[in-house]
Amino acid sequence: MNPPTAHFDLQRNAAGNLTFTDAAGTLHDNVLPLRLFPLTDPQHWVAITSATGQDLACIEDLAALPGPTRELLLEALAQRDFVPLILSIHAILRAAHGYEWHVTTDRGKTHFTVENDESIQPLAGGSIVVMDHRNTRYLIPDPTTLDLKSRQRLERYY
Amino acid sequence: MLIKCRLSVGKALKVGERWSELLEWPRDRNPQRRGGELEHKLPLAQEIDEMVEKFRNLSVTLYKTPAGRSIGGSPAYLSIRLSTSMPADLLTPPHLEKRLEAGERVLARFQVDLDQRLQFRKGLLVMTNRRLLYLEENQAGSTPFHEWRLADIGELSLEEMGATAALRLSLSGHAGGSHWRFTAGLVKEADTFVARFLEHQQALAGAAPSAEPESNTAPGEDDGLDFADLVPNPTHGNPLLRLLKFSRSWLRLIVLGLFLTIAATSASLLTPWITGRLVDTLLIPLQTKSHEIEWPQLLPYAAMLLGTAFVAWLLKWWRTFIVARIAELVTSRLRRELFEHLQRLSLIYFNKKRTGDLISRIGTDTDRLSLFISVNFIDFVCDMFQFAFTALILFKIHPLLAFAALGPVPLVAWLVKGVRGHLLGGFAASSRAWSLMTSVLSDTIPGVRVVKAFAQEQREIARFKQTDHHVFSTNDRVNRTWSFFSPMIEMFTDLGLLIIWVVGAMTVAHGSLTVGVLWCFVTYTTRFYGRLEAMSRFFAAAQRAAASAHRVFEVLDVEPDMPATAGTRRIGRLSGRIEFRDIKFRHGSRQIIRGINLDIAPGEMIGLVGPSGAGKTTLVNLACRFFDVSEGAIFVDGHDLRDIHVEDFRKNIGLVLQEPYLFFGTIGDNIAYGKPAATREEIIAAAKAARAHEFIMKLADGYDSMVGERGQQLSGGERQRISIARALLIDPAILILDEATSSVDTETEREIQRALDNLVHGRTTIAIAHRLGTLRLANRLVVLEDGRISEIGTHEQLLQTSGTYARLHQAMQEVSQA
Repeated sequence: MNPPTAHFDLQRNAAGNLTFTDAAGTLHDNVLPLRLFPLTDPQHWVAITSATGQDLACIEDLAALPGPTRELLLEALAQRDFVPLILSIHAILRAAHGYEWHVTTDRGKTHFTVENDESIQPLAGGSIVVMDHRNTRYLIPDPTTLDLKSRQRLERYY
Repeated sequence: MLIKCRLSVGKALKVGERWSELLEWPRDRNPQRRGGELEHKLPLAQEIDEMVEKFRNLSVTLYKTPAGRSIGGSPAYLSIRLSTSMPADLLTPPHLEKRLEAGERVLARFQVDLDQRLQFRKGLLVMTNRRLLYLEENQAGSTPFHEWRLADIGELSLEEMGATAALRLSLSGHAGGSHWRFTAGLVKEADTFVARFLEHQQALAGAAPSAEPESNTAPGEDDGLDFADLVPNPTHGNPLLRLLKFSRSWLRLIVLGLFLTIAATSASLLTPWITGRLVDTLLIPLQTKSHEIEWPQLLPYAAMLLGTAFVAWLLKWWRTFIVARIAELVTSRLRRELFEHLQRLSLIYFNKKRTGDLISRIGTDTDRLSLFISVNFIDFVCDMFQFAFTALILFKIHPLLAFAALGPVPLVAWLVKGVRGHLLGGFAASSRAWSLMTSVLSDTIPGVRVVKAFAQEQREIARFKQTDHHVFSTNDRVNRTWSFFSPMIEMFTDLGLLIIWVVGAMTVAHGSLTVGVLWCFVTYTTRFYGRLEAMSRFFAAAQRAAASAHRVFEVLDVEPDMPATAGTRRIGRLSGRIEFRDIKFRHGSRQIIRGINLDIAPGEMIGLVGPSGAGKTTLVNLACRFFDVSEGAIFVDGHDLRDIHVEDFRKNIGLVLQEPYLFFGTIGDNIAYGKPAATREEIIAAAKAARAHEFIMKLADGYDSMVGERGQQLSGGERQRISIARALLIDPAILILDEATSSVDTETEREIQRALDNLVHGRTTIAIAHRLGTLRLANRLVVLEDGRISEIGTHEQLLQTSGTYARLHQAMQEVSQA
């Protein structure tokens, strides 16, 4: 389940696919890294799965990996990971389908519709996850660090 | 973006004329101005088809009005929703048209919302009959532009990557291509775009260059109609105003209440005036000894005071009673409508909502509204009158003095305004905290066995304590704000009075004011500020009620997404033929059913097997029409399931679930749940057939034994047999068994098995099962894997092919031997 990191062999082949050689020496082509706790602990517990979805390896701490492998892994994760962090809230407007949030995230400005109160949930550690009507997740890592106006806007709806 | 148009019967309109106008790309960014209403005569199925065809890549959604909400007595109006979001400046036709060559037509569009580094940026993919174009929104305002000839494109494919997805373009012949990223919510639109592309590519390959792509739609293909989204009613507004509108039915009572309020207020306002006269005409002269006391003169004043006190009491009594009654009537209807509305909503809604939250909305929030209407609101109206009257009287008595006394009023108004927004947020937070606490309760109390088994009582206590503290702190914060108010206003009162005493004393000294008038003035001023204080309290109460009203109307605004009343075909008893035609089902961004074709003959029993997550339960939910298919169709006895009246259809369905749910009541009532008019004989017969009769007889109260919320006094097998009896009693044509035997031991399973043997006989049955015993009876076994049928056949046939079923079977046998 948790092989020693010395055996951890992740490469990118000529076709651009990620390959992984497990502890037994078997080569797996086109593997997929997945964060197991993408919201609460993105820096730990990353699983490597085969193209068919089988679990091949699990890394507890990304920081423990050798530099180039970590870079490769982070790059691959960045291709799939999509949890925009809300940096400030410009407005929360009533819309036909709930509320329209206008925000600036770490991935740029956007707006989305939040359908109901259940779409805004606290997570362990004080962060808040906001789910829009299309199931995209937005994270507010620490509501107390938002600017005052954003905090006040958030407070009205959370 | 949302375009909503409403079609109602009676008014004619030239076909195509306003359609195109209405469905033009929006030119402004203001969503409010994009709506439009369109009168159109019915039937217009054909026109809608044309329009859907034209805009199919935008996933046009049609909604039928639920019955009972029709306009002008007609049962049908259609709302048309185009679900896509378009940056107006990028997509206005002129902008796009500039890029098009002569004779080039746009066939499909798809808007992506991310760039390749997964940053939010809008871009538009356009497919014409010649090229694929990509326009990107640029920060500098220019729109970068890319193009590919359709003939050069090898493949256009969609890849889902967790929360996002990618559309990949590869060129034929040589390496290269491009890809676009977007959030997973747009997968459906992307799917349609790719389908459109493939369609066109096939048409091109089919050596029919002149063929109109629009006419090349595959027969039976779904035209993008979709009922699966939840659509809240767009009628919004101030929740308190809506509450007023809601109470319109009791207009007469309300008018009476208002009249009584005014009368009572006027009566009580007379008192200081009479007292003032009393002081001036009798007491002051008496004190200055210029007159002897004249009892006959005192009498009329005393009588007047007594009279007004009596009348005020009588009027206030009536007023309070009538207003309380209005409040109860309004909130009782709100509660009823909420509950009725909830019953009409589909399972999708309940899956999203927490029980505790819904209960708190129906219970606590409506109760708060009742309090608001009966106490705060009427007090406010009363105060408003008193306020205005007193101000009027004050100015009438002595304008200068009144001006001085009311000096601090603007200051108070400014304060109220400043704190209002603060309060609304605070009360909304407090309401949510309350429902969070209710949620914890409704989570923990039913799960008390698990809590105790894992010895997590302390943890649950801590969890409750935390949410309770949240309630405390939100309330505390709001209280801190508004508790600041009353003393503040008291201070202003004192300030006002101080001014009066100073100014009054001077005017009395000048002789232009009598002591009686001054006394009367002081009394009125005190009242005035008292009202002001009450009104400021009202603002707090109004904000709290607004928060509650909002939560109540939020539920009422969810339109039943499942067109429960859309199907109009009335049916009696079905023969039980079920056909699944190329059905697909998507929940959110997850594709759960990926194309299933299956015909089930009347009376046939189908065993559904497959690994968990394969879509077995989803398939039976679709067959029960708890959800609607995303694509394809289900036919029952040759009718499209969506056309059939849902209640009629469900009367033909018997459902036995893994976890039987028994309602609070007697066993007899529970068996007769689906047919309340069932005779005792029928109930006993059903129980016998379900092999439940013996154990029911042994209970002290027989069929009259009470079973708890979840029937806790009975064993799992016993509860299951009661639920089988319940299904048997309604004599359904179609029977759904969702792992009915999975949660019981082998001995009980054998008992249930015998009960099921009686149940499946002569009915179309779909059984999801892991146990071989249940499957033994099945005519055919269907193996589902990853949303598709992987194998189909009898037990023996499937064992011979040694595929998935053979593997599952071996595993099941190993388990039962062990």
